[in-house]
Amino acid sequence: MIQDWLTTYLPLILVLSSVIPGLIIFSLKESQVGLRTTLNLVGVFTQLVLVGYMLLAVTQGTTFLFSLPFLPAGDLILQADALSLQFISLSSVLWLATTVYAIGYLEGTALRSRFFGYFSLCVSATVGLALSGNLLTFLVFYELLTLATFPLVVHSGTPAALRAGRIYLAYTLGGGAIAMVGVALLHSVSGSPQFVPGGYLSGFLTDHSASLTVAFVLLIVGFGVKAALLPLHGWLPQAMVAPAPVSALLHAVAVVKAGAFGIIRVVYDVFGIEASDQLHLTQGLLWLAAATILYGSIKALKQQEIKKRLAYSTVSQVSYITLGVALLGPIAAIGALVHLVHQGLMKITLFFCAGNFAETLNVHRVNEMNGLGQRMPFTMAAFTIGALGMIGVPPIAGFISKWYLGLGALEVGQDWVVWVFVGSGLLNAAYFLPLVYRGWFAKPPNSWPDNARFSGGTAGWKETHWMLLISTLFTAALALISGIFAGTGWSPLAWAQFIVSQEFSL
Amino acid sequence: MTAIQLYLCLGVSLWVLGSLGLLLAKNFIRRIININISGNGVFMVMVALASREETIDPVLQALVVTGLVVAVCATAFALRLSVAYAQSKQVSER
Amino acid sequence: MNFALLSMTLPLMTALVLLFIHRRAGSVVIIASLMSLAAALAALYQVHLFGVQQMHLGGWQAPLGIRFQLTPVNSLLLVFTALVHSLVALYANYSRHSITNTTDFWPLALLLHSSLAALWLSADLFNWYVTLELLGLAAVAMVALSGPKAYRPALHYLLLSLAASLSYLLGVALIYGRYGFLDIALLADVTQADATTQAALILMTLGVMLKAAIWPLHLWLPSAHANAPTAVSALLSAVVVKGPFYILWLLWTEVAPVELAQTTGFFLAIAGIAALIWGGWCAIRTPYLKVLVAYSTVAQLGYATLALGLLLYWQQTQLLVALWLFVIAHGLAKVSMFLVAGEMQATLGSKRVTALKGATQTMPVAMFAFSVAGGSIIGLPPSGGFVAKWTLLQLTLASPIHWPWAVGILIGTLASAIYVFRVIVISFNRADPLAPDFSPDRFSHWLAMLPALMAWLMAVVSVQLIQFLGGLP
Repeated sequence: MIQDWLTTYLPLILVLSSVIPGLIIFSLKESQVGLRTTLNLVGVFTQLVLVGYMLLAVTQGTTFLFSLPFLPAGDLILQADALSLQFISLSSVLWLATTVYAIGYLEGTALRSRFFGYFSLCVSATVGLALSGNLLTFLVFYELLTLATFPLVVHSGTPAALRAGRIYLAYTLGGGAIAMVGVALLHSVSGSPQFVPGGYLSGFLTDHSASLTVAFVLLIVGFGVKAALLPLHGWLPQAMVAPAPVSALLHAVAVVKAGAFGIIRVVYDVFGIEASDQLHLTQGLLWLAAATILYGSIKALKQQEIKKRLAYSTVSQVSYITLGVALLGPIAAIGALVHLVHQGLMKITLFFCAGNFAETLNVHRVNEMNGLGQRMPFTMAAFTIGALGMIGVPPIAGFISKWYLGLGALEVGQDWVVWVFVGSGLLNAAYFLPLVYRGWFAKPPNSWPDNARFSGGTAGWKETHWMLLISTLFTAALALISGIFAGTGWSPLAWAQFIVSQEFSL
Repeated sequence: MTAIQLYLCLGVSLWVLGSLGLLLAKNFIRRIININISGNGVFMVMVALASREETIDPVLQALVVTGLVVAVCATAFALRLSVAYAQSKQVSER
Repeated sequence: MNFALLSMTLPLMTALVLLFIHRRAGSVVIIASLMSLAAALAALYQVHLFGVQQMHLGGWQAPLGIRFQLTPVNSLLLVFTALVHSLVALYANYSRHSITNTTDFWPLALLLHSSLAALWLSADLFNWYVTLELLGLAAVAMVALSGPKAYRPALHYLLLSLAASLSYLLGVALIYGRYGFLDIALLADVTQADATTQAALILMTLGVMLKAAIWPLHLWLPSAHANAPTAVSALLSAVVVKGPFYILWLLWTEVAPVELAQTTGFFLAIAGIAALIWGGWCAIRTPYLKVLVAYSTVAQLGYATLALGLLLYWQQTQLLVALWLFVIAHGLAKVSMFLVAGEMQATLGSKRVTALKGATQTMPVAMFAFSVAGGSIIGLPPSGGFVAKWTLLQLTLASPIHWPWAVGILIGTLASAIYVFRVIVISFNRADPLAPDFSPDRFSHWLAMLPALMAWLMAVVSVQLIQFLGGLP
């Protein structure tokens, strides 16, 4: 009885666990800091507990399904399968870290109720996106995500932020409209049934191959905007004018991963591997992803601003996921799915660090990082973990995903992809190692600036605001742990293998 | 050409003239007069159509009467509005 | 049927009473509108239970008598009209900035309501002429309520409206002269594609297109709608332009022979796309908030025109669902947008879009209402606008030769996104928020939010709406 109730309503409750605190927060006064913080944390922990329960239940074979009639042949469906839980676990854990970080980061600034309200809605949209049980529902949350993140991007209200906001909207709404046409086109062929491993379009291949090909291209373009695929990546470097916690969340989970997750769903659960192969859809995607990886790395090398360099690094790293999907092999799929988590953990750490540097010592540019390790050893250590992980140094998380991606490329006979990984790894090293070197080994300036918001501290536990530091260390530790313990049963890797065993029916 | 056809043609030409005048005239009073001319054209067509047969069609005549009532009301309203407009212009010029 | 008549006559009776009694006119109108809404809902339920209903006024049978009919589409429109009128009456009575709180507004609003209801119920070419004239006169008088600055646009509106009615009337005369009927059901069986019919249909179409502000005959709309008092703008954009549209729809689906309808459908669809692009472009360019909202009406009517055009061109009756969903979703969203625009204009003391700097801080509720309404206008899921667009897209995408139309819809979507977000982005500007002269009127802001939320709630009942409009059980 209660079991039935849970399997039906838990997906909905999971979405509401961040919507409700968000809506209440909107109505709070600026001065109600305590209540706001409590609401945030209650939301986060509720979500974590629920996700934990669902992870356990899904391994035991329970399915969660909530559906609501919406359009003819297209219900609103929320479901929790292994793939969606992978994404949700990432987003709720990182929501915790980012909430703590943001509370510290925004201390004493204006309009915090608005910020945290939209922040919660943004997380809800991400959760809804992950739980979407069909393409139509996915589209709904994909657009809601755009709406919820926009106020965060323009939060500071400066002309630069507004400009970035306009660019962000131009790309994401344009992409959303194209995705909508794609979804509508597929719907006109087959309706919008539930996602199934192996896809549901195999029966339409002979009669509708033209429609399906066009729909695939439209969907990839639509979702590729958020996943920052090559000609559509322009918004991402602009959007880093947002406050540090927002950039962190945008780059690690919410927006770019929404795009990548959309591509995963389209290839695996809508078209299915066989249909994608038969229609020769993924070869172009493969080339595009490879080009994006190299292009992002080369652009990152040229950036002198830390956040900009990180942003281009995201452009490059997210395409690893797309590439892994486009390879259409099970081992590459494991690499792609695990990179979804690993890249999130590492990139959020790096953005937190960049925020710490900027808010503590006014360090924004690469050449200002000299000797940072002496003033802020903990943050610098976290930064080093993130950077080395991005390069792919074992035993940090990034190594695991690149290893599987490389093996996966060899398995399906696309050997050239390995050279893309090697080249990108070298470029990663070229743009990250100088930062690490400067931080630890270069000579620090004579005196550190003391006009930043959190500049009062001393090296060690008090090097910056404790909330900023603790969340940075938390995510860095996660990046390290998920690499070291990748072989155990509860790592992201193990879960990715579980998903792939279902998707490829191994 | 029968008398009825003549009336029909005249009615249509009145309508065309009135509509053209409405498009070309600038002064509001002129435009209101133009509207009435084209309205009369339409009514003329209707009356002509009504009397095509031996027994005159009462429905069309009823329609014309209704149309006339509407036209009178509308004209009165338009005239009042243009007076108000002229007065407001004088006030603002003063 | 009785409930539908009640929904129509209640406002009329109240209007007559209000000519003599001026005290508490606002409250009386609110009560009358709400009662009319209840009656309309009852009529809707009757249609749901028993299907289409007919009534012959005074017991006279057609062709001599006048026939009223109650179908799924017009019962829904009755509810929609009464709903919009109730909301606007609430706003006009309780908002601090409402300049329509004079006795003149109230009977006129009721008259407008009543003539619209009569228009929906009629199924007779001449009766439509009478309701069109009533509608036009009431609307012009209401535009003129905002004082001397609106006299000129009001006069323009009146003259155009009269010319349009005459063009329509000439068409009616020709049809009657040719067939001897005015009832559309009787005409449907006998019409042929000859020169007289064609000329008559073209005359009538031009008349109603001018009144419905369908591109390229939309030029009068922005100045009339932008200069009217806030409550009036909301009524005009949300419901009044839809009246002639209803006539256009029945004229071409019922009266016109199929071969004529197909040709016209193609041109109407082109006009719809042109309206989407041109209206969108003007809304993107204009510096004034209310003009932006008014041009958005021109653009959004383009969707309805496109749906109607494609319906006729392909002879796909299912498209009527998309058509009327567009009309209702747009109406609800547009009420919200005009109320917000009026409130902001009054609070900030400026008509310009740029005056909205920092509005998310100073007037968060109003700005949120604008965004919510804008979301439905753009057609973001899951809003009423989205459901309408989705229904249209489904039939457009079904076969590849129709895909070029989908490109037009896409362009329209992007244009609407640009003009809506143009306003929203400015409101997030924190550089130097203009301080409002006095504290904003929270109640009116929430009231403006209500129709916008309803536009989104349409998505919740979309399956039922689609089935109901499509005439399915």
